[in-house]
Amino acid sequence: MRFALLAILILVVIGCVAAKPPLELADTVIADRQVWAGEVRIRGVVTVKKDGHLTILPGTRVVFAPFDRDGDGIGDGELLVEGGLVARGTAAAPIVFTSGAARPKAADWKYLYLDFAREGELAHVISEYAYSGVQIHFCRATVTDSEFRFNVDGLRFSTVNLLAAGNRVHHNVHGVRFEERRSQAYLHHNDIRDNDIGLFVVTRSDDAARIERNNIAGNRQYNVKMGLEQAKDVTLPRNWWGSTEPALIEQSFFDRRSDPSLGLVSAPEPLAGPVDPARWQAQ
Amino acid sequence: MKSLRKLSAILIVLALAVGPALPSPAAACVGKTLLVGALDTPQQQVLANLLAILIGERTGTTVKVVPAASHAAAHEALLKADLDMYVEYTGIGQVQILKAPPIADQAALYKAVKERYNQELNLVWLEPFGFTDPKLAPGGTVAEAAPVVRKDTLKKFPALARLINKLGGAIDAATMQKLEGAAGSGSARDVARKFLKDKRLI
Repeated sequence: MRFALLAILILVVIGCVAAKPPLELADTVIADRQVWAGEVRIRGVVTVKKDGHLTILPGTRVVFAPFDRDGDGIGDGELLVEGGLVARGTAAAPIVFTSGAARPKAADWKYLYLDFAREGELAHVISEYAYSGVQIHFCRATVTDSEFRFNVDGLRFSTVNLLAAGNRVHHNVHGVRFEERRSQAYLHHNDIRDNDIGLFVVTRSDDAARIERNNIAGNRQYNVKMGLEQAKDVTLPRNWWGSTEPALIEQSFFDRRSDPSLGLVSAPEPLAGPVDPARWQAQ
Repeated sequence: MKSLRKLSAILIVLALAVGPALPSPAAACVGKTLLVGALDTPQQQVLANLLAILIGERTGTTVKVVPAASHAAAHEALLKADLDMYVEYTGIGQVQILKAPPIADQAALYKAVKERYNQELNLVWLEPFGFTDPKLAPGGTVAEAAPVVRKDTLKKFPALARLINKLGGAIDAATMQKLEGAAGSGSARDVARKFLKDKRLI
């Protein structure tokens, strides 16, 4: 009898949870403290305003309906954060940002965008099928243990104070894309592979970003590419490039060796083997 | 003296805080998608894809190739900002678009269309690719192919002219013929990408 009652109770609880409808949002402004859990479906732009704060719980799925208001071929769904965002998933229950298309593709939605955000923390997040898996500008943020895949840009930033560690960035057009613009970025123990371009140094880099102890290997066109207006040199010490042979490493760079107007990419002290992204906290 | 120092410090802090926030095309989060027009011929498809891939891959800007029904339609779309650029031929520009008398001299013809497009239409002829196509030359003219770009597009993307001009003189008639042949039996985009890669332009 007890077992029967317990079973009924469990079923009722499961039923209640399973029956909880997804949160459906169109263009929405968040100006207070909100918490998302379960499934959140977005068809529009959700803006967390300066005074707003959004916490996303582990296991939450944020699904962007693919819609293109301006017909430019880039989806217009986005989560724009000007206030606070804490998206802290777990290894077992990551937070997923994805497309709602039946056949999803890159740029189905625009981006998760932190712009002058007061707080930005992403951990154990998966972001996929966006134009940019995440874009971070003019703020301090941490991005750890996350996965950026099937986007145009995986992780993109400019003018930030950013720590990015333990992330897996793969199958994007640009794995990591940045305009340094006096950023204090520190990228380490990230696995950046199988993108068209591993690291795209677009412009305005003064070689201040610390990008070391990452795996930047096996990217389809180049492991590192300098943008058209990146005339200053960039130094990327102590990374794993898939080889320790200097000539092979250099072949995977698009820099002054291809176009004299560009800066030179140098890769001193290349690592002898890949780093383990999961062990970034131990370093 | 003390208050002057304080003022200087405030100004420096303000400059550091506000300076990076000033809007700039390069900082655009997704940015404008550039549109390159192309007629439905292998030559036009290859040239449009050359432009699209070169711009897209060197700047990170999204660039799309969109169909144009005719030279006149492409020109109208360019004027209306429905396109940012397309490849035109000097003879067609002079005779069919500007309704001007033919000019037989290649350099004089290019100079004439470039000047009138710039002054009257706010369109810019960039450097010719390096070949002519007699099939596209109205009587008494030369058909030199070159990118024609909206002036306001070049203003929004200041490095664009320098980038596109890397293709100036890079394609002679024999090369164009080979590229067209390859595009006829395959993908114009793949053909264009291979050309750019072989030239180490991307």
